[in-house]
Amino acid sequence: MENAEPSKQKAHRDRHSGRKTDKKKAKKNADGAIVENDAKQKNPKAFAFNSAIRAERRFRRKQDINTKKEHIPLVDRTPIEPPPLLVAVVGPPKVGKTTLINSLIKLFTKLPLTDIKGPVTIVTGKKRRITFVECNNDINSMIDLAKVADLALLLCDASFGFEMEVFEFLNICQVHGMPKIMGVLTHLDMIKNSKTLKTTKKTLKHRFWTEVYPGAKLFYLSGILHGEYLKNESKNLGRFISVMKFRPLQWRTTHSYLVGDRYEDLTNQELIRQNPKCDRNVALYGYVRGVPLKKENWVHIPGFGDQKIHDVSFLPDPCPLPEQLKKRALIEKEKFIYAPFSGVGGIVYDKDAVYVELGGSHSYKNREEDESNTIVANLLDVKETLDEKMKHSELQIFTGGDKLTAEDIDESDSLIAPEKNSQTHSLVDEKFKQLLKKSFEKVNAGDRIRRRVVFNDKENVDSDHDELLSDAEDLEKDNDSEVDQQDMENEESDSEKEVANSANEETDEEESEEDDVKWKDDLMKKARDSFFERHSSNQNLMKLVYGSFDNKKAMETVGMEEGSDDGIGELFKKVSRNQHEIRENKDIINLTESSLSLPWDSVMTDWTDPQKIILISNCFVTGKWKESEDASELLKLDDADLSDKDSEVFGDFEDLETGETHKAKDETGEKRKREETDKPSDTALIEKKKKLKERFDAEYDNTDKSNHYEELKMQNEKQSQLNKTVFEDMPEDMRVQIEGFRPGMYVRIEFKNVPAEFIQHFDPTYPLIIGALNMGEENIGYVNVKIKKHRWYKKILKTNDPVIISLGWRRFQTIPYYSKLEDDMKYRYLKYTPEHLACNAHFWGPITPQGTGFLALQVIQSDQEAMKHIGFRIAATGSVQELDKSTKIMKKLKLIGHPLKIYKKTAFIKGMFNSSLEVARFEGARIKTVSGIRGQIKKAVNKPEGCFRATFEDKILLSDIVFCRTWYKVDAPQFYSPVNTLLLPPDKKGFWKGLRSTGEIKRELGIRNAANQDSMYTDIEREQKPFKPLIIPNKLQKALPYKDKPKHGVKLSEMKKGVQRVSVIREPHEQKISTMMKMLRSSYDQKQSKLKEETKKRLEKHRQEIEAIEADKGKKLKQKKKEVFRRKSKAQQKEKERG
Amino acid sequence: MSVNRENVLSYKGSNFFRQRLVLSVLSGKPIFISDIRILEDEPGLREFEVSLIRLLDKITNGTTVELNETGTSVYFLPGLLYGGEVDHDCSLERGVGYYLEALVMLGLFCKQPLKATLKGVTSNNIDPSVDLVKTSMLQTMRKFILDDEGLDLKISKRGLRPLGGGEVIFKCPIRKQTRPVQLSDFGMVKRIRGTAYALRVSPAIANRMVDKAKGVLLQFIPDVYINTDQCRGKQSGKSPGFGIHLVAETTMDVCYSSEQVSNVVSIGEETSVPEDLGAAAAQRLLYEIYLGGVIDSTSQSVAILCMALGDKDVSKVVMGPLSDYSIWFLRHLREFFGITFKIQHLEDEEENTGRGCKKILLTCVGIGYTNLSKRTI
Repeated sequence: MENAEPSKQKAHRDRHSGRKTDKKKAKKNADGAIVENDAKQKNPKAFAFNSAIRAERRFRRKQDINTKKEHIPLVDRTPIEPPPLLVAVVGPPKVGKTTLINSLIKLFTKLPLTDIKGPVTIVTGKKRRITFVECNNDINSMIDLAKVADLALLLCDASFGFEMEVFEFLNICQVHGMPKIMGVLTHLDMIKNSKTLKTTKKTLKHRFWTEVYPGAKLFYLSGILHGEYLKNESKNLGRFISVMKFRPLQWRTTHSYLVGDRYEDLTNQELIRQNPKCDRNVALYGYVRGVPLKKENWVHIPGFGDQKIHDVSFLPDPCPLPEQLKKRALIEKEKFIYAPFSGVGGIVYDKDAVYVELGGSHSYKNREEDESNTIVANLLDVKETLDEKMKHSELQIFTGGDKLTAEDIDESDSLIAPEKNSQTHSLVDEKFKQLLKKSFEKVNAGDRIRRRVVFNDKENVDSDHDELLSDAEDLEKDNDSEVDQQDMENEESDSEKEVANSANEETDEEESEEDDVKWKDDLMKKARDSFFERHSSNQNLMKLVYGSFDNKKAMETVGMEEGSDDGIGELFKKVSRNQHEIRENKDIINLTESSLSLPWDSVMTDWTDPQKIILISNCFVTGKWKESEDASELLKLDDADLSDKDSEVFGDFEDLETGETHKAKDETGEKRKREETDKPSDTALIEKKKKLKERFDAEYDNTDKSNHYEELKMQNEKQSQLNKTVFEDMPEDMRVQIEGFRPGMYVRIEFKNVPAEFIQHFDPTYPLIIGALNMGEENIGYVNVKIKKHRWYKKILKTNDPVIISLGWRRFQTIPYYSKLEDDMKYRYLKYTPEHLACNAHFWGPITPQGTGFLALQVIQSDQEAMKHIGFRIAATGSVQELDKSTKIMKKLKLIGHPLKIYKKTAFIKGMFNSSLEVARFEGARIKTVSGIRGQIKKAVNKPEGCFRATFEDKILLSDIVFCRTWYKVDAPQFYSPVNTLLLPPDKKGFWKGLRSTGEIKRELGIRNAANQDSMYTDIEREQKPFKPLIIPNKLQKALPYKDKPKHGVKLSEMKKGVQRVSVIREPHEQKISTMMKMLRSSYDQKQSKLKEETKKRLEKHRQEIEAIEADKGKKLKQKKKEVFRRKSKAQQKEKERG
Repeated sequence: MSVNRENVLSYKGSNFFRQRLVLSVLSGKPIFISDIRILEDEPGLREFEVSLIRLLDKITNGTTVELNETGTSVYFLPGLLYGGEVDHDCSLERGVGYYLEALVMLGLFCKQPLKATLKGVTSNNIDPSVDLVKTSMLQTMRKFILDDEGLDLKISKRGLRPLGGGEVIFKCPIRKQTRPVQLSDFGMVKRIRGTAYALRVSPAIANRMVDKAKGVLLQFIPDVYINTDQCRGKQSGKSPGFGIHLVAETTMDVCYSSEQVSNVVSIGEETSVPEDLGAAAAQRLLYEIYLGGVIDSTSQSVAILCMALGDKDVSKVVMGPLSDYSIWFLRHLREFFGITFKIQHLEDEEENTGRGCKKILLTCVGIGYTNLSKRTI
């Protein structure tokens, strides 16, 4: 009750009237905002500038912080509709990866998915799709997925702690460009004790932070309920995933790639029946990621090898984002799920078939579609169906044939004229021809479906009219000048050329006309008609350059197959292509190549002719400027700005002025311009003004211009804007040719001659990645890399031992040669990698851009036994430095020779070389003896072959060894073998076997190296060294003191040894004395020992006594103390009670 | 070596031999050219083509060339571009420009900065002369690289047909990649410059050419200045002759160039008159101005190549009508690099009479080519 009281108190109410409030209001209004620098105002001195040094430091620190924040601005190439996010779920077995995917899918789609195989794509939000992939416990899969994943969910069994796989995966990620990584701890319910749970969480978190970055997100999934993770926990995780942002990674912003989520075997069933091992034609499907995919690219499929793309086509998105955003959340209908490998996903429309997924069982009989399906396809497919193609083909063959003859007659020369129009090509002619053709078509079309004919007819009439009109306009527009030009050109060139030119134009026109008609046949493309009309001229230009433009297989396949899938367009093209070739063969093939448009000595017309002058007069600064640049025009606009009404007057005035200064020729221009400026309405003027304003702003408003960074950023932004918009209005099929298949498109890629094992041993749990290779990357050469042995790897690496390297998209086995770059830029051969240093390695491998990271493994077998003693599997990491076609590794070489004969400083050395020819190669080389005497090789001598004369800086000894230190070039072997794990049968996928190292082979065969006899341990035998007797001269002897003088008598030891003692026999009296003495001595000894014993006892006793006394004293003291403390405490208590 | 057979491009005939070799070196794709002049009296490769192969061999590492016995077919497996200092005696059948053009295209992507000394004929009628390479092609290149330090062409000696004797030193820096550009404004011609030279003939001839050329050009623009290049002794090569080279510069630093060179009397060509030559050069320059565009008609192919090789961004360049050579270059680019250009007429909203012929807008997305030879630290 008492506590509740303060909350009941009345809140303070601000006053809204009165003197003070007025004051406050005035203050507020003056600044526009609440005045926050109150303190500054009240005490301005405290905020005065007082220390220049401190200010400088402050400034510098601020700059430092700002600069640290800056990154090199990159052009943003993220597509407008990005491909689904690839989330890889990684972790050692039995940590709950499948459970996690299941619960996430259930969370997003409300559909439980059992038995997940391969990637699962789902729509999670209005602008986001996610593909989940589970990574199996194979280092190959881990490597492949690390290269493509946008986000890796790294699962860890908290009750066990981190396992090696986790760290291996983190390392793989670091090498191949770090994707986002989120740790997830599972099995937390296994830890019963709350305290241990807390500490485990903490330690694991900190370990994770050191690996990724401090503060990296680590999720805790506390337990399992009904076989699923707790709902709100997985919900949180899902939320985190769906709002995550990504940084572009270097490799992926330069390479396009696909994660295959479907495949079809397109091989003829009959061929397979005859030979089950025959090469297959395969189509793979997936979303394009990274950058646009070009059809001409080579691709690499990790685990399989390089392939040339046979064909690419884009398909409607099987898992599209919602088109219109009606509500905040997704409707159930829009929550698509697409997982063909798991048997989920709706109907898929393909180029030549419709695929209906039959739940669970995955069947690939794509050829035999029943009638109803074809009908469905007919209705739904945007492309031509087989039936239609057949009908087309008849028609096209006919017209094509016609054309063939026409072309044969007409086309006799090369394509020379760059201009589209030619004066010989009259309008009437064209019209006539077109009409002729249309009528032909009508007749032909008469046999076919009626509806079509009518349709065509109508269209033709309309478009005829339009086209003609537009053509005429076009011609008129560009030709008043151009005709002249053509005239001239034709005058210059011989008449034959002229004819050829015009002939060419004609045929081109015809071709385009044909194409137009064909397009119109198509239902879908009809909509684009108007567009094509607009761009027909451009089409023609492109056609002129690239030949038949919409034929995608232009020039590539000379030998054609009668593919039913290629339809009639193909047949028609074939004819024209042959024509092309014939033409080429005839004329151009062996002409002289020159980059000049015309040879220098070709005759020109007179450009000083007034008629011609008109054509180029405005190319010079003396001519008329563009309106946006012309000074007078700009002035006029300024005036218009000032006073809208009087603009005309001002304009006139201005004109007069310029008219005075300029020449007569200009005046006409001005007049014309005036007429025009009079005409346009206010809107045009406003438009113009706006443009000018923009230009002005761009020039002057930008205060940040000095800031290079900002400028760069702006430039990149501009470029990315341009990239996105420039091809926006092109039809998709053309755009794809120019730009490639944009990321986010769902494409189907066809491959020819794929080994049968790829299909037979296909396992969806292994990721299927199709990585495009850029120009030159399909080649092989020497790769020079910077490499460092991983500090957790137990062994050092040896030159000439094969390793498995993951570089770029590829995984391959190769033989590296390690070397160290010396200060003189020489690569010195190393037999082993240094323990804690980076070194260089050369190996024969795929050409990959510099700076690409790679990692090396020695074992990739997922053999539990082997793993146990290997521990960490990643042997080394590094990055590419240089690419070349040869290596420059030098091995140190010491040549050894022995002196044969020695004169003063000259010596003849033998045994270093085998022939005088070899010596000749080394004349003048520096040599050195073991003792460090330097010399030089002079010349070979005849007699013992290979012997030479050498001079030294000093006389050498015959026992010296002479060295010559040189370098020997070693070549790394050209061994490169891709790791083709995808082709192995499922149970052997983890046991790929490649080249074995010598050590491995020896170990397996039980071969032991024969030990070097010289290196064996033997007993040390040391001979006694006999010294010479010491002889001291007599004189010296005399001078020596006595103790140092040699004694010539018998030595004591000699005496002991040599002298034979005489036995003493005592007299009886002496005997008595000696016994007496003996007894006395023994009694004395006895007495002494007794005395000692007693003293000891006494001392012991005394000690005990003392101890007892001490103990007594201590006891008393203790009691006393106790008493004192008791009293004291009592006193205190009393005091307390009192107080 | 280890090259996929599928990757080999095969062609027929000797035409576009240089184009194909250059693109092959850049793309790393091997080519096979057959049927070279099979129907002619002298079948097979000519001396100048063999010389080109030699030159390419000098600036690359690991190139393999296989010729058949008659020289009518070549298999060319390119290596990696190496660069460095190269000394080459060019064939006298073609000008130095023929070789220089190849080097201009390749120079940027070498391992080491290129310094090539080429000896031979500096100007003739069928090749761009060294002056033109300097004014037009290098100028074009500069537009595509950020920093042009070290890009230089020095004409140390001039030499004309038939004996040659000229010498040029071409220096080219190495770059990681070319940058995408958007060039649409070509400005207006603001001045005309030029060089006239007379080798082993009367020096007055140069002045006669200059006078006549100026006479034509002054009708259009007052700012015309033509140098006379006095070459003496060894600098003037081994054969007599004269020539003129003209450059028109626009307000946007675009250069149009033209040139003329005298006929060779000793091999039976008719004598050229200096006045005619001067006038012809001026007329040709006007023709080039008429063609217009941001890129000179001679260096279209260089510009197209730089556009194609640029970063994976959109490049736009306005050109005059495409020359035959550039059309084939575009076709070859499609085969070697798989890049297709969008080619359209330039639609200018402002009326443009008297601004030459209709321009063409080339748009493309670069392939993101990077210098694979360069060493990184």
